[in-house]
Amino acid sequence: MNIVQISAFAQGTLVTIELTLVSMFLGTILGLLLALGRISKNKIINKIVWIYVWFFRGTPLLLQIMMVYFSIPLIAIDLFGKPITPPMFVAGCAALTLNTGAYLAEIFRAGIESIDKGQMEAAKALGLTYGQAMFKVIIPQTIKRLIPPYSNEFTMILKDSSLVSVIGLAELYRKATILAFGSGNWVYLFYAAGVYLFLTTISTYIFSKLEKRYSVYL
Amino acid sequence: MIKVEKIDKYFGDLHVLKEIDFHVDQGEVVCVIGPSGSGKSTLLRCLNQLERITNGKVYIDNELVDYRKNDKDIMHINHEDVVKMCQELGMVFQRFNLFPHKTAVENLMLAPMVVKDVDKKTARAKAIELLKMVGLEDKADEYPVRLSGGQQQRVAIARALAMEPKIMLFDEPTSALDPELVGEVLAVMKALAKSGMTMMVVTHEMGFAKEVGSRVVFMDDGRILEEATPDKFFNNPTNPRLKEFLAKIL
Repeated sequence: MNIVQISAFAQGTLVTIELTLVSMFLGTILGLLLALGRISKNKIINKIVWIYVWFFRGTPLLLQIMMVYFSIPLIAIDLFGKPITPPMFVAGCAALTLNTGAYLAEIFRAGIESIDKGQMEAAKALGLTYGQAMFKVIIPQTIKRLIPPYSNEFTMILKDSSLVSVIGLAELYRKATILAFGSGNWVYLFYAAGVYLFLTTISTYIFSKLEKRYSVYL
Repeated sequence: MIKVEKIDKYFGDLHVLKEIDFHVDQGEVVCVIGPSGSGKSTLLRCLNQLERITNGKVYIDNELVDYRKNDKDIMHINHEDVVKMCQELGMVFQRFNLFPHKTAVENLMLAPMVVKDVDKKTARAKAIELLKMVGLEDKADEYPVRLSGGQQQRVAIARALAMEPKIMLFDEPTSALDPELVGEVLAVMKALAKSGMTMMVVTHEMGFAKEVGSRVVFMDDGRILEEATPDKFFNNPTNPRLKEFLAKIL
């Protein structure tokens, strides 16, 4: 590979990492809010969240990316009379965030529901409000249990970020295919596979280290 | 100090508490005994609002905190105020319910820091003092999983005391313990009673009720059938159902 190709790969890798980190960060916040909505006693919130999760887990991520990127300008025309095209990176992050939020919501909900009921009662008996009990007592206990499924979701999003190439964002997969198809040389696809493997191996390693660190009390 | 008037509690169709009048006065140690399913734990849990009553009134410190008719809230008392009132009630559970992700001392520090905004240093000093009181200052930095059942329950008692409650509620505090660990927990409870703490104890420990109780209450099938001093309760019971119960266990 020459310097131009290497820098193209490096840029693509950087975009992939950014897409993953931003989407997972925002998706985690979204997922937590959705999970709290899902376990709340408010039936309306409950139903709304259920429909949200049902939609985003039941349709292809590829389709969701297209819908976010191509529907926003059209919605903007209806609302403001002129199209607003989101930057590709923003649209890509939005779609990945919405999607992973739905999956993480179910992961978080299962985690919260797996904590013994006595913990909430003990917290309430000590005078904590529902919110204080959730954030100081219940959710901290779920972290250790959540690391394996969270790590799994992180890996999925890292790989599925390649789907954002469909709207033209030049992340790792798109850079590799441009180089491969342009030159007719398949080896670039293998380089890309190597980079993805490198990234997923590192993230899995970090999460397994984290899991060990949270094992002290169990 | 704490009083309920004509409370009913239904779980679905199940009538668990039937028109109960009950009160605990300042400095009293009230022991509640009775067979399983008699409603004694439910009564205790209705006092600190872990269970909602269906009918009746609950007073804490002579203030009405809950008044319901057929599950309908009559008074609409501000929920935050009720939470505050309930801070005056400390609770000890059958299964300890310590926070497993916190060390013993952190278990004691959490509620004062979160609820009362006590700073970390003050909370820790107070927590260590309480752990000393239950004889566990050397276990301050251990996680609950490393403690025996008896030690966990002593930490749980200290944790409730950290909120400086005016009354302590015990829900079968020794029922989940190995027999040889019961004594150390009862010893802490006796010391607490001696120090003048107002207590309500749901228990199967007749010895404790006899020795420490200022009043013993017998419940069966959702009703209070007998209420008397320990002496009269154990030596001269009047209710036939209580006689039968005592004959079985003593």
